[in-house]
Amino acid sequence: MKGLADCNKAGVQGSAIDNGEMVLSVKHVSKKFCKKLRRSMAYGIADLTRNLFGIRPASTGLRKEEFWALNDIDFALRRGDVLGLIGVNGSGKTTLLRLLSGIFPPDRGEIIIRGRVGALIALGAGFHPYFTGRENIYLNGAILGISRDEIDAHFDKIVTFSEIGDFIDAPVATYSSGMRVRLGFSVAIAMKPDLLLIDEVLAVGDLSFKIKCLNAISDLLGTAAVIFVSHSMQLIARISTRIMVLHGGSISHHGCDVGAGIDHYTSRLSLSGRKLSGSGKATVSEVMIGSAGHLVSADRAPSLNYGGDLVIAFTVELTSSVKHPAVNVFILNQEMYPVAECFSENCGFRVRAEPGKSRLTVKFRNIPFNAGMYSVGVIVFDVAARNEIALRADSVATFQVNYSTRSWSSVILAGEWEQREIV
Amino acid sequence: MGDRINRRTTVYRPYQRHELGFFRTWEVMAGNIMDARELIWQLFKRDFLASYKKSFMGISWIFISPLVGILSWVFLQKTGMLQPGELGIPYPAYVLVGSSMWGLFMGFFNSAKETLSSGKALVMQVNYPHEALLFMQTAQHLANFLITFVITIIVLILFGVIPSWKTVFFPLVILPLFFLAAAIGLVVSMISVLSIDFDKMVNVVLGLLMWITPVIYSEKVDNQLVQTLIAWNPLTYLVCSARDIIIYGRLYETPGYLFCAAISLLLFMISWRLFYVSEDKIIERMI
Repeated sequence: MKGLADCNKAGVQGSAIDNGEMVLSVKHVSKKFCKKLRRSMAYGIADLTRNLFGIRPASTGLRKEEFWALNDIDFALRRGDVLGLIGVNGSGKTTLLRLLSGIFPPDRGEIIIRGRVGALIALGAGFHPYFTGRENIYLNGAILGISRDEIDAHFDKIVTFSEIGDFIDAPVATYSSGMRVRLGFSVAIAMKPDLLLIDEVLAVGDLSFKIKCLNAISDLLGTAAVIFVSHSMQLIARISTRIMVLHGGSISHHGCDVGAGIDHYTSRLSLSGRKLSGSGKATVSEVMIGSAGHLVSADRAPSLNYGGDLVIAFTVELTSSVKHPAVNVFILNQEMYPVAECFSENCGFRVRAEPGKSRLTVKFRNIPFNAGMYSVGVIVFDVAARNEIALRADSVATFQVNYSTRSWSSVILAGEWEQREIV
Repeated sequence: MGDRINRRTTVYRPYQRHELGFFRTWEVMAGNIMDARELIWQLFKRDFLASYKKSFMGISWIFISPLVGILSWVFLQKTGMLQPGELGIPYPAYVLVGSSMWGLFMGFFNSAKETLSSGKALVMQVNYPHEALLFMQTAQHLANFLITFVITIIVLILFGVIPSWKTVFFPLVILPLFFLAAAIGLVVSMISVLSIDFDKMVNVVLGLLMWITPVIYSEKVDNQLVQTLIAWNPLTYLVCSARDIIIYGRLYETPGYLFCAAISLLLFMISWRLFYVSEDKIIERMI
C-alpha cells in the first residue's frame, strides 16, 4: 500500500493539510473470533488458565471453529486523511474500529497511534437517563478520558454545538434520540482527537445536524485523521480522501480514487431480494435490463454510463379482471430511497388490457444518475378499480452507474448555464 | 501544532500486557486508577445517586433496610428463638455487628464480581481502564456500608455496649477482607463473562461459608465438627476480627488473622495481575 501516502484531495475540504505526520499505522493486523458460543467459552477459559501461569499459546493460528474477522490489514493515515471505510455487514469494519480504539487487542500485527483517539462507535456512551444533560457531559467526558478542566473550558461550546439549549438541565431521559446523538457528538468532537473514528453514527441525526457534523469533521482535518464508516455512498463520496473496501475481513480495495473504490464495492453488491405484493391479478417475469441493444438478464446487474440509455423489458401477465392496466417503474438508490419513477399513463402510453402475456419495454435516454447501485421495481395498477395494485414487485433488476465525479446527490443534472454582464 | 507532535504514542500488539513484569503490573494499574479518579467519581455519582433519583423517599432508603435488619434480630432474641453461646454482650448487638461484617465481605465480593458486567455496554464502546470499575463498585458499597455502620454504632450504644477506642483501626482491619473478596471477585468477574456456572458455584459456596463463620452464633459452640470447621475457615479470622475490634477492642486471634491477611494480599495481587493480562481477551467474548 505504499505510494498511497499522499492522496489528499487538495483544497477539497478547504482546510490546511499537513503532509508528513503519520497519525496511524496499522501493520499486518489480524483478529480472530470464534463461531460457536460454547467453544468460545472453552477457549476463553483455556486462555485464562494459560495467563495464570504466564504461558503464551504455542501458535497464533486458527483453532477449530475460529475464523479471521480481520486478516492482514495494513495501512497508514496522516493528518488530513479521511478514510472512507466501506463493506457489507460483517466484513469487519466495526471490529477494525474497536481494535483501533483499543477495545480489543489484535491477535497478530501491530497498531501504532500518535495522539489521542476519539471514537464515535456509539454516541453518548454511558449517558444516564436520570441525569441532566449537564451532568452527563461531565460523565461522558470522564469516560472518554477528557479532564474536568478541559470540559469546563469547552462547556459552552459543547452546549452551543449540540443545540440542546435550555434542555441542558433536564434529564437525558426526556431528550429525543436526535438530541442525545447531538450531545454525544458534541462532547466527542470537543476533545480535539488526533484520530477520529466514526461508525455510522451520523445516520441518526437530522440533515441540518449531519451537515454541521460534516463541517466540524472538516474543521478537524488540519490536525487529525479520520476514519469514516458508512453505508451511505453519498456521505463517503462527500467526505473521504481515500477509500478502503473490506470484504470478509480482508482489504479488497484500497486507494485514493474514492469513485473507483465505491464502484468496486457496489459491483459486488446485489440489491436483489425480490418481494412481491398486491392483489395477484398480474405477474411480471423475464426481466431484462441494460443499454439499448445490450439487454442482459436482470440478475446480471449491468454497468451503465452516466448520460447513457437505460432499457428495461419484462413480460406482464394479466388476469381478465384487470380492465385498465397501468405500469409504474421506479428506481431506488442504495439507501432504498426512491430517486425516480415513470408512470405509463403520464407518458401517454396506454397498456392494453389483454388477458395473458405481453412484453413491455421502456427506454430512458440520458440517465442522470450519480455513480452507484440502483434497484428497479415494477407496480401494475388497475386504474378502473380505483388504482388497485395488481402487483408490486420490488428489486426485479439492479444496475450500476459509472460516473467520475462524486457528490451527494442521486441525480446529477446537466444544466445549461449562462452568464451576462450587468452594466 | 508544536504541542501535538509531543503527544504520546499508543501501541497495540498481541500479548502486550504479558510483556510487563509481574511487579510492574501493580504499578501500572495503580497509575491507571489514579488517572481514572475523575471517571471513578463520575461513575460513582451516577450509580449511587441515580439509584435514588426515581424515588420520593430518596436517600432515606439507605437507612430503612439496616433498621429492619436490626429489628428482626432483636425480635428473634426476645422471643427466645435463638440460643447463642456465652457472649458477654447482648446478643442482638453481637449478631448485628457480626452480620454487618459478613455483609461487608459479601459486598466487597459482589462489587468485584461486577467489575466487568456493570460496565458491559460501555466496555464494548469505549476504551477505558476497567479496573476503575472495581473501585467504583467498592466505593459504592462502602458508602452504603458507612451508613449501616453509623446506625450499628448507635444501636450498640443503646444496648449499653460502648465501642472500643480501637475502632479507629477498623479501616485497616477490614483491608484483608477487601483483598480476599476482590481476589475471588475479579476472577469470578472474568469467568462469568465466559460462563455463568462458576459464578453460581462461588455464590453457593460463600453462602455455606457464612454458617461456619461465627457471626450469628458464638465460636464457643458445643460441637467438635463446627469448632474444626470454624478454625479452618479463613473468614472466621478476617470477619470476626473486624467485629471484635469494635466490640472488644482486639483481633479475633492475632496470628491467625495476620496469616490470613498475608494470604489475602498475595491472592489479591495474583488475581489483579491475572485480570490485567486477561481482561482484554475476555471482553472480546462478551456478547
